[in-house]
Amino acid sequence: MDVLMPQMGETVAEGTLTAWHKKVGDTVSASDILFEIGTDKVEMEVPAQIDGVLKEILVQAGDTVDVGTKLAVIEGSGEETNDAPAPAAPQPETPKAATPAPAQSPVAPLVDRPKRDRSMKLSPVVRKLLTENNLSHTDIVGTGRDGRIKRGDVLAYLKGPASVPSTPAPAEAPGAISGEGITVVPFSYRRKMTAEHMVRSKATSPHVLQAVEVDFSAVNKARQTIGPEWKRREGYSLTYLPFIAKAVCSAIKDFPRINGHIEKDHLVVFDRVNLAMAIDLNFEGLVAPVIRDADLKAVTEIARATHELARRARADELTPDEFANATYTISNNGSFGTLITAPIINQPQVAILSTDGITKRPIVIEHDGEDVIAIRPVGILAQSFDHRAIDGSYSGAFMRRVKEILEGKNWVESIS
Amino acid sequence: MAELIYREAVAEAIAQEMRRDESVVFLGEDIAKAGGVFKATVGLWEEFGDLRVRDTPISEQAILGAAMGAAMTGLKPIAEIMFSDFLAVCWDIICNQMAKSRYMTGGQVDMPLVIRTANGGGARFGAQHSQSLENWAMMIPGLKVVAPSTPADVKGLLAAAIRDPDPVIFFEQKSLYATKGEVPDGEHIEEIGKAKVVRDGDDVTLIALAMMVPRALEAAERLQAEAGISASVVDVRSLVPLDTQTILSEVRKTARVVTVEENPRLCGWGAEISSIIAEECFYDLDMPIVRITSPHIPLASADELEDIMIPSVDRIFETVRQEVD
Repeated sequence: MDVLMPQMGETVAEGTLTAWHKKVGDTVSASDILFEIGTDKVEMEVPAQIDGVLKEILVQAGDTVDVGTKLAVIEGSGEETNDAPAPAAPQPETPKAATPAPAQSPVAPLVDRPKRDRSMKLSPVVRKLLTENNLSHTDIVGTGRDGRIKRGDVLAYLKGPASVPSTPAPAEAPGAISGEGITVVPFSYRRKMTAEHMVRSKATSPHVLQAVEVDFSAVNKARQTIGPEWKRREGYSLTYLPFIAKAVCSAIKDFPRINGHIEKDHLVVFDRVNLAMAIDLNFEGLVAPVIRDADLKAVTEIARATHELARRARADELTPDEFANATYTISNNGSFGTLITAPIINQPQVAILSTDGITKRPIVIEHDGEDVIAIRPVGILAQSFDHRAIDGSYSGAFMRRVKEILEGKNWVESIS
Repeated sequence: MAELIYREAVAEAIAQEMRRDESVVFLGEDIAKAGGVFKATVGLWEEFGDLRVRDTPISEQAILGAAMGAAMTGLKPIAEIMFSDFLAVCWDIICNQMAKSRYMTGGQVDMPLVIRTANGGGARFGAQHSQSLENWAMMIPGLKVVAPSTPADVKGLLAAAIRDPDPVIFFEQKSLYATKGEVPDGEHIEEIGKAKVVRDGDDVTLIALAMMVPRALEAAERLQAEAGISASVVDVRSLVPLDTQTILSEVRKTARVVTVEENPRLCGWGAEISSIIAEECFYDLDMPIVRITSPHIPLASADELEDIMIPSVDRIFETVRQEVD
């Protein structure tokens, strides 16, 4: 049977084959791990579907292919080898010795050929082009009769709708460094994907950083009120993060352009907030799964969803769909006590927020008409935004709104 | 450039070669004083006289037997067989003698002769005077086979056939005798064995010969105008030698092939070309090769039936439009 690049979630069109666990000629059992794949979001091990022998590997580790592409052939135990092995690169220039024609009806048609159904057949040149370019016929939309794929369809596909924006070439690899006192840390697949995304984002978006200082007293009051009970019931602390997330979602209602995607020369603004939460995988990488419709969720729901995403991310249980269609991202570095972090935009979004350490600080407040120094939990919220889409005034007004909500809302009431 | 009629180009070519080479002689039925039944040889007898331009008795075997003897003994005869259908009575001379002499004598005997003959249908002559018989000649090793579609090619290729040291059968399409075209002034000679791309296109290649060339060209113009299909048209011109290089290069460019043949379907020259394309260009094809031919029955003499049987501009247009999508 043919082994195909699996569909890893509805939104994923291609994947990178990161490693083969078997070699050609190996005996495989159903459920043996056959290979590993990665998308721009996740990695995954894929087991064999049947018992048999791995006859052929068609896609090498490191290659990125579309979903449905034939990766390998397993000859199942007891399975007849119906499929002739895929021919090596055809050599049309070299005519083969003529082979006897198959026996035909002795009566030739009187006139020109009758109509034939060849809607789903691939012509030789289409097969050749697909093979040469490592494509599957499922990639191509046929424009011929009954959807037949024509040579021109493949050529058009190869030409592409628009050339992919070129990413800066990676810096020349330095000469291999070796010797004492040096440890080489090879980049994992996830590390490479992160690197690519970060470079691309910085090259794509003119980042502007804006920060506001927020007095978290109101939030803290709610945390102190229900925190102990929450911890006992849920098994983990109620952090500042879900409150910040809620405040962001509320502020987006007033500043919708924060919640968008930049596409070429226009901005797509979304009604719902799909909030990506950057989650650290214990120093082994970073993922940003999504809380869908976060704007419809209560603080407690966001808290539970965030906790669950983090747990599943660290257990490597997330599926590609859980990364899809994020509209805004929050990166939380507060647990390390950082003062301020300038985050990099999660493309193609407009902005990203960093929450950093919240500590008790002396601040000047007005009390009964007098300036007094008070001790308050204070932290800095920093947002990087894409200056192509919005300007500093819009972003600044949004940040002020977030601050107002966090400081002014009766969180105890809203949470209990 | 002067505009010539296809039939005038025949006489011009013969005259051109008779003037430059005294060993060229011309014989056939009613070719001298009458100027040919298709008026393709008018003026030759007047210019070159009885000795070099001879009317013969009504015996095709006598004509070809005499021509062959003359060729073997140093002349360069042009023999006319009035209708190509009559080649059948000469088959031993053509197939077993003319075609094989050079080979069977180890190259000691040249056979520099041309058989000119009026070929093909469309003129209401009935089944015994209208056949398109290029494939009869094409299948005999040792013969060269030429079938021009324009006055310029008639002149250039007939001149080349007369100079060729081997037997050439030169098929003139009788329905094209009245057609006009530009012909280069002065001595004009073409190379036998070169096909000609007469219309450039990207979507499909129409491979045609003789009368099917103007029809394919007209169909190609309609395909462009009415269906947005860009058709390349190749005039094969010479079946032996066959210019596979030009044909295959057009096929690789367009990935789609339609042969347009006047002959009956079985064993038409298009079948041979299709076979070569399938062997050499299989991986470049985007659709099955399509052959447009006459049906495999004797050609009818009734006007309507003859018009239905021989591929028309409409039939070429419709077939290509349906197949190329």
